[in-house]
Amino acid sequence: MQATTHALPHGAVAHEAHHEELGFWRKYVFSTDHKIIGIQYGITALIFLFFGFCLMMMMRWSIAYPNTPVPVVGPLLEKVLGADKGVISGEVYNQFGAMHGTIMVFLGIVPLAFAAFGNFVVPLQIGAPDMAFPRINMASYQAFVVGGIIMLVSFFIPGGAAQAGWTSYSPLASAVATQGQTFWIIGMVFLITSSLLGAVNFLATIIQLRAPGMTWMRLPFFVWSQFVTGFLLLLAFPPLEAAAIMQLMDKVAHTSFFLPSGLQISSLGHISGGGSPLLWQHLFWFLGHPEVYVLILPAMGIVCEIIANNTRKPIWGYKSLVYSALTIGFLSFIVWAHHMYMTGMGTKISTFFQTTTMIISIPSVIILTCLFLSLWGASIRFNAPMLFALAFLPMFGIGGLTGLPLGFNYSDLHLHDTYYVIAHFHYVVAPGTIFGLFAGIYYWYPKMTGRHMSEFWGKVHFWTSLIFMNLIFQPMFAQGMAGMLRRMADGGANYSAAQVPGAIGGLSPMIMHFNQTISIAAWCLGLAQIPFIINFFWSIKHGKPIASDNPWEATTLEWQTPTPPPHGNFEKAPEVHRGPYEYSVPGAARDFTPQNEA
Amino acid sequence: MVLAALLAGLQAASAADVTGTVTLSGTPPPEKPNDLIKNDPVCGKLHTDTVTTHFYVVGAKQELADVVITIKGAPKSSGESAPPVVLDQSGCLYTPQILAIQTGQKLVVKNSDPVMHNVHIIPGADSGNKEANKAQAQGAPDISFSFATPESFLKFKCDVHPWMFAWVTVVDNPYFAVSDKDGNFKIANVPPGKYTIEATHRKANGGKPVSKEVEVKADGAKVDFTLEVPKAQ
Amino acid sequence: MRDLFAKILGLPVLASEHGAKVDDLIIYVHYLMAALFVGWILYFIYALIRFNRRANPKADYVGIRGHASNYIEAVVALVEIVLLVGFAVPLWANAVDHFPKADEHPTTINVIAQQFAWNVFYPGPDGKFSKRAAQFVTQDNPWGFDKSDPDGKDDLAPMSNVIHVPVNKPVIITLTSKDVIHSFKLIAMRVTQDAIPGMRIPLHFTPNKVGVYQINCAQLCGNGHAGMANGRLYVDTQEDYDAWLAKQPKQSAGGAASFE
Repeated sequence: MQATTHALPHGAVAHEAHHEELGFWRKYVFSTDHKIIGIQYGITALIFLFFGFCLMMMMRWSIAYPNTPVPVVGPLLEKVLGADKGVISGEVYNQFGAMHGTIMVFLGIVPLAFAAFGNFVVPLQIGAPDMAFPRINMASYQAFVVGGIIMLVSFFIPGGAAQAGWTSYSPLASAVATQGQTFWIIGMVFLITSSLLGAVNFLATIIQLRAPGMTWMRLPFFVWSQFVTGFLLLLAFPPLEAAAIMQLMDKVAHTSFFLPSGLQISSLGHISGGGSPLLWQHLFWFLGHPEVYVLILPAMGIVCEIIANNTRKPIWGYKSLVYSALTIGFLSFIVWAHHMYMTGMGTKISTFFQTTTMIISIPSVIILTCLFLSLWGASIRFNAPMLFALAFLPMFGIGGLTGLPLGFNYSDLHLHDTYYVIAHFHYVVAPGTIFGLFAGIYYWYPKMTGRHMSEFWGKVHFWTSLIFMNLIFQPMFAQGMAGMLRRMADGGANYSAAQVPGAIGGLSPMIMHFNQTISIAAWCLGLAQIPFIINFFWSIKHGKPIASDNPWEATTLEWQTPTPPPHGNFEKAPEVHRGPYEYSVPGAARDFTPQNEA
Repeated sequence: MVLAALLAGLQAASAADVTGTVTLSGTPPPEKPNDLIKNDPVCGKLHTDTVTTHFYVVGAKQELADVVITIKGAPKSSGESAPPVVLDQSGCLYTPQILAIQTGQKLVVKNSDPVMHNVHIIPGADSGNKEANKAQAQGAPDISFSFATPESFLKFKCDVHPWMFAWVTVVDNPYFAVSDKDGNFKIANVPPGKYTIEATHRKANGGKPVSKEVEVKADGAKVDFTLEVPKAQ
Repeated sequence: MRDLFAKILGLPVLASEHGAKVDDLIIYVHYLMAALFVGWILYFIYALIRFNRRANPKADYVGIRGHASNYIEAVVALVEIVLLVGFAVPLWANAVDHFPKADEHPTTINVIAQQFAWNVFYPGPDGKFSKRAAQFVTQDNPWGFDKSDPDGKDDLAPMSNVIHVPVNKPVIITLTSKDVIHSFKLIAMRVTQDAIPGMRIPLHFTPNKVGVYQINCAQLCGNGHAGMANGRLYVDTQEDYDAWLAKQPKQSAGGAASFE
């Protein structure tokens, strides 16, 4: 971080002169500056992403080679989690599964996509000096850290972390006799609080602090995506927060909000009953589905910025993008029960949710189509951020398309809870969202540090990640279609044809063999991130210095500031004269015309 | 170390064995055939004979096995250094089905079957022992448990195979035994003194202990028990 | 074409009447997906080659002209409407609303899921299940059968993990769970239904191939979830089924034993 201070141009220092000089703690740890908070969020979220990825790599060992000790980390697992001989047993696997999902979604991608990029970029892009509520911003980050620490600590308590999946379905969530679930719920309450504080702040900032001339239809699409995301978080999270507290009561105070009468679960003892397990599912998925768009919309926004910049032309159908994002935001609140087709749903309700699910696919297809069509007539620069942004398109395309057979309940009959589902949503969030986030990191890194990340290693990172991502998730479609089910600690070994000779429909040796190839690809994907990690830290001090404050020759306002932007961001309050993507304007001297250029 | 050896020697010198035989009075109800295991696709193939329940294991002369004998008021100690006891899961049954161990003593649970089991330990309502639930797949390593609080017939069950139960009595002193198939038991090295000795069977006498006042002398003591088949309800 | 596509997708063995329609819908949706994806990818590759910086140094401010994309959007929406209205909705209605009538002589079975096994109950010749209630639960009557209920006299003793049904006859299974949520999945029958404690949910299907099929649990149900794989569905010929049925002990004959 010291590098950032060294890189401060003189102009910025002069600008800051009338502020009192802040100490290290106030400046970097308890900062109220949106850019520092953005970077804090970014670094913390990347660490959590890496940790969640490590959990997955261990799970893949158990799936590929069940009941054999995990190499390298086996003794650690034995010590911390009581995994006998370092073998991942059912309960350890379930801990990893639950925490992989929770960490990736709530501690990795949401903080990175929404909070980190949003914090750093949104005020700059709208020409604001900071977020509307800098202290709430700081509180949001601190609540996030506390929530994350509670989640991590739960691995070290007796019995370990939560075991009921990231969806935490009751009664299983209450039935597991350990306290990991209690920690999970309390952690979630902190994380939800953090997101709510962040959402309020973003909405207020975008509504109130736009620079003069920055009308709604001149907002960069990234700001729009953050705006819709803010609304999703604000409206979808409170029901889950309420539900989480009800589940906490079920766990610690012997209430029965989600526990029906007549349960025979030894660890629960006597309960009054009368609750409904389905109520939890409704409350969870009422958040859970908007959450999917919370994950994907910011990535779409990032990709849109980068595609406009590197095609050197305006985004095709900017208004369609905006209206589609708004439509998605609205519709995402009325599709949640398509996660619950198999809970005994009648015709009327399922028709409603199928219809809304099909309708929501239309704006998603429009967004994707607009981004694809933006390539027509372009002059494409293939730099590292652009490669990730381009790969996002077909990868998210696969993720979106494979949602269709899951969205029709009758085809979902076969595919529900199989690896097809895993492949589907991972295509949306892993080579989809995470590629978008990588693109954003490579793209805005020069603005954060004043230096470029290495292009060469960025491309190595891109190609290896792309190949291994597909080697991981493509075979999962085949596994799912063949009927391999999710959340099996042994990767379905008990259902394999080898284990049950004579029974029709056992998983074939080829399908079982994919377990190993997928796992190897997953570990290779882990190795493929090493160039990124080294590149990321090495370039802070040793990367190629930027030639100007606007190294990508971009139009949006974040590039019209000193680098890195000083406290208060702009030397002179910007005034906006045009739309966000005025590239290659006929008759203009340069192929880009910044928004604030008179 | 030296002191411990000395103490042990001292104890051996001044201690005696309590032995005896347990018999059953009355005719136990017929054991029920286990159709569940017969129909199970994996476990069924592990047995050629008909598997039945083993509520009463009775010899030709009514000798009763699986009776837990404990000595009340014997000096308490922890069994942390005692050799571990093994509970095997084989043929989708627990062997042995009745066990006694000392508090702190290690209980090693094995899975010798080609199928997954899970070891679900369900203590009584007011027991100080904790519920535990550990999955043990085929080929998975042994799992060790130990218990801090004495408890009579702590329930072990396998949730994968609803017929699998084992019962482990936890005792806070080293003076206990389980009767063998001839109904015999032997508790070694009991310090002389007056004690109440209890015999408990899962089913006989409704699972309640039968107790006898016994004085253990330097040459030991012999005490026999007779347990009854409870009347049908 | 359809069979080839089914093979490419790797759809597993099918053994129920309605299952062909599930497969049909999966295949039709994949036609749509394949068409869209291939279209996108061909366009994508062309665009990347045609419009890279070297091939096209000066970008075009307007970009693509015309309304082709709108028409494609409209076609996609239309196909989705057809799949929805023509297939998914009526098929689902058939699955959940139109249960086999009594004159089709369905085999009725109750299944109670538990960690980690399926408990199977047959009503016997009268087709009526015994009443059960929590107050009757004892050591020897773990399922709480009402022993005074005449409907229960001919019920079969409860079974674990084994379901026998005759081929080509409808089967109605009513599902519930005694502890956590499970999901009853018969892959070859294209049947999935969550077993939820506190709810009794019926499902139906008609098996049309004799054989032994796995019963899968599709919902995370605890640490033994991966091992909840011992359930088998036996689809027998009518004769074999009758012979099997005749051999089964009755609940009133002292079955339903507790093993505790």
